[in-house]
Amino acid sequence: MSRVGVIGIGHGVFGRRSDATVQELAFEAFRSAMVDADIGRDDLDASVIAAVPEYHKQRSVAGVVQEYLNLNPKPTWLTEVACSSGSAAIRTGWMAIQSGLHDVVAVIGCQKMTELGTADILALMGRVGEVQWESVFGTTFPGYYAMFATRHMHDFGTKRENLLQVAIKNHYYGARNPNALFQKEITLEKALAADPVASPFNVYDCCANADGAACIILASEEKAKAMAKDKDKVVWLDGVGCATASMSVLKRPNLTGVPSASDAASQAYRQAGVSAKDIKVAEVHDCFTIAELMAYEDLGFCEKGQGGKYIEEEKPYIGKGGVAVNVDGGLKAKGHPIGATGVSMAYEICRQLRGECGERQVPNADVGLTHNVGGIGQYCFVHVFKNS
Amino acid sequence: MDLGLKGKGAIVTGGGQGIGAAIARALGKEGCNVAVIDFKHHTEATKVAEEVGAAGGKGIAIEADVTSYADAEKTVQAVIEELGRLDIMVCNAGITMDGVLLKMTEKQWDQVINVNLKGYFNYNKAAALHFKEMKYGKIVNISSINGMRGKFAQANYAASKGGTIAMSKSLAKELGRFNVNVNVVAPGMVLTDMMRSVPQEFQASALAETVLGRFATPEDCGNLVAFLCSDMSKHITGEVIKIDGGQYI
Amino acid sequence: MFSWFGRVSFVPYSKVQDFAVHLRNGYLMGTRCKKCGFQTFPPRADCPECMSDEFEFVEYSGKGKVWTYTRIDAAPTGFDDDVPYTCVVVELEGGGRLLAWSGETLPQDEVKIDMDVQVVPRILEETPDLRVCYTVEQPGATWHKAPEPHLG
Repeated sequence: MSRVGVIGIGHGVFGRRSDATVQELAFEAFRSAMVDADIGRDDLDASVIAAVPEYHKQRSVAGVVQEYLNLNPKPTWLTEVACSSGSAAIRTGWMAIQSGLHDVVAVIGCQKMTELGTADILALMGRVGEVQWESVFGTTFPGYYAMFATRHMHDFGTKRENLLQVAIKNHYYGARNPNALFQKEITLEKALAADPVASPFNVYDCCANADGAACIILASEEKAKAMAKDKDKVVWLDGVGCATASMSVLKRPNLTGVPSASDAASQAYRQAGVSAKDIKVAEVHDCFTIAELMAYEDLGFCEKGQGGKYIEEEKPYIGKGGVAVNVDGGLKAKGHPIGATGVSMAYEICRQLRGECGERQVPNADVGLTHNVGGIGQYCFVHVFKNS
Repeated sequence: MDLGLKGKGAIVTGGGQGIGAAIARALGKEGCNVAVIDFKHHTEATKVAEEVGAAGGKGIAIEADVTSYADAEKTVQAVIEELGRLDIMVCNAGITMDGVLLKMTEKQWDQVINVNLKGYFNYNKAAALHFKEMKYGKIVNISSINGMRGKFAQANYAASKGGTIAMSKSLAKELGRFNVNVNVVAPGMVLTDMMRSVPQEFQASALAETVLGRFATPEDCGNLVAFLCSDMSKHITGEVIKIDGGQYI
Repeated sequence: MFSWFGRVSFVPYSKVQDFAVHLRNGYLMGTRCKKCGFQTFPPRADCPECMSDEFEFVEYSGKGKVWTYTRIDAAPTGFDDDVPYTCVVVELEGGGRLLAWSGETLPQDEVKIDMDVQVVPRILEETPDLRVCYTVEQPGATWHKAPEPHLG
């Protein structure tokens, strides 16, 4: 099978973007990616757009974004799988190219989370889980992951501090990423004293809603080699894993890991011909602190149950002998515009594999990974990228 | 029609005489076990209990003041233990202390409200707590047509009887989900001792009000209440049924 | 009507809506596939194993163990007045799991993983409309069952 390469990447500023509509946010990222790729709109065959529609006033968001990007009449469609919509769009673009239907596809993840009023957002918050048997008891997104944490702490002795150590790391790196929502580091004292959300979590265990967009341009191997401004800067998307798990926590085999993540990871590793040991840098889905901690285990960076120890020993920091994880701040410091996050992850990995990250550069980054989870793990996409 | 009351448990307050006694007898005749509650007429209540026993069910008489919730709670518990079950609560205990409002004392007002309305609250609540757990119950509260139309020199009594209707309708809405029926019976003039103390000219004018040309007997009331205590009326709730011979149409 | 079920309702209709009628009468029901015997809680109309749509309700004792839990302090719409409440996931005797709040006999700070519990059907007292649900109580908690309803 021939490869699919990333020939251009772009990212907007994440935050409370009351200055822009979703299509204006999409354009920021699209423009940067097109400039980065040094191509014109005529070079694109299609776009795939990721957004979670229910947060927008505009119905059928893909249409308005395609128009604003001036991509009519090229084909487009929306991919939506909750927080993993961005990676789903990437997988879709990859599939379109591998099928031979298209050669060059722009993948745009864009999202406004702050367009609705508080009441509407709170109502949406209460329907994250399975609505027939669970949401009717007032379950919330943090509540679900908190249940994972409760179990993980019970089964493996993971400490409360371990969870916050994940947040501390991500804010450390977020402070060094101009695109991140939160630009300040945090301390353990401050983190421990924050308002409770769902036991054992407080506010510092939870990512924040944000508006934002990111964009990557995918091309077939042949076109990538022909079109790339600098062929050495093409990053190859060699492993695309995807799996699902039950929507309902009542049906999961356990609540100490995300089964769709381990399934998707083994697919991606196998396809890319690598194993966990080969991954130098990773972007994982830290919607809540426990999620990143479980990702270390689900992705094979450490043994099952050892996630607490892994972060306590600072292994996921740059240059500490482990996999550098979320060194752009992760969801925790960047904010989480749900449709855009998956593409933002790909953007960071591509920059790392190109050696463009300055003080946040992971040394010898040749193989990178994105781990993008939808909701509480009912969907997961794991992508493995290589720079040669 | 088999009312299906055999072996059930009932409480009737003010069951020592008049309408209350008739209700207790009517239930007893159907084989129902009845606890006859009375304060002023305990001796008579004991007799009524014996009659219930003779008719086929078990009859007990309890001397209790309906104005105390704590007593109501204890009484209901005692009845459940003695009769083995409680399915039916009939609140009937009531007094009059007539007089025009312009001359009515606070005591006249407070006592009538306390016995007639607060007393119903006490026993309705104590019984409802049990009915909720059992997912079954029948509550019948005795009111009066004067509670619907008002009556000269009976502001206090009418208020207590009108209040009974509003309370019972509210309770019907709250308890329906637990399969509990709450209904009101509103008699006009009834041939009881209480009536005999009413002056002749008032009796005559009341008779003239009826279209049937007669007053209700206590047995008429007992029959209606027994029907409302049975599953034959299981789809009736929140209802007020007058039994007044057409006195107030 | 399935809309009775839960502290709020998002699902007015379901092929298993008689679940709510049974729950009102004090029966906790799962379903069993008539064709292959696959049994599950929560109930479902379509067999995930053999795809048959012929199912029957089967009663559960409500006995179980705590699998996990969390105390929710930040509530979604409709639950603002209820915080804090503790959501407990119970592994049920008979198979399957359910999620419910810890009840009056089980203080929130006493909930522990693996403890034995009893799920008890409830009819809510203070809502204007009829609502049924269940709560997680200490083992040995009892409740009265009404005679089986006529389902029309």
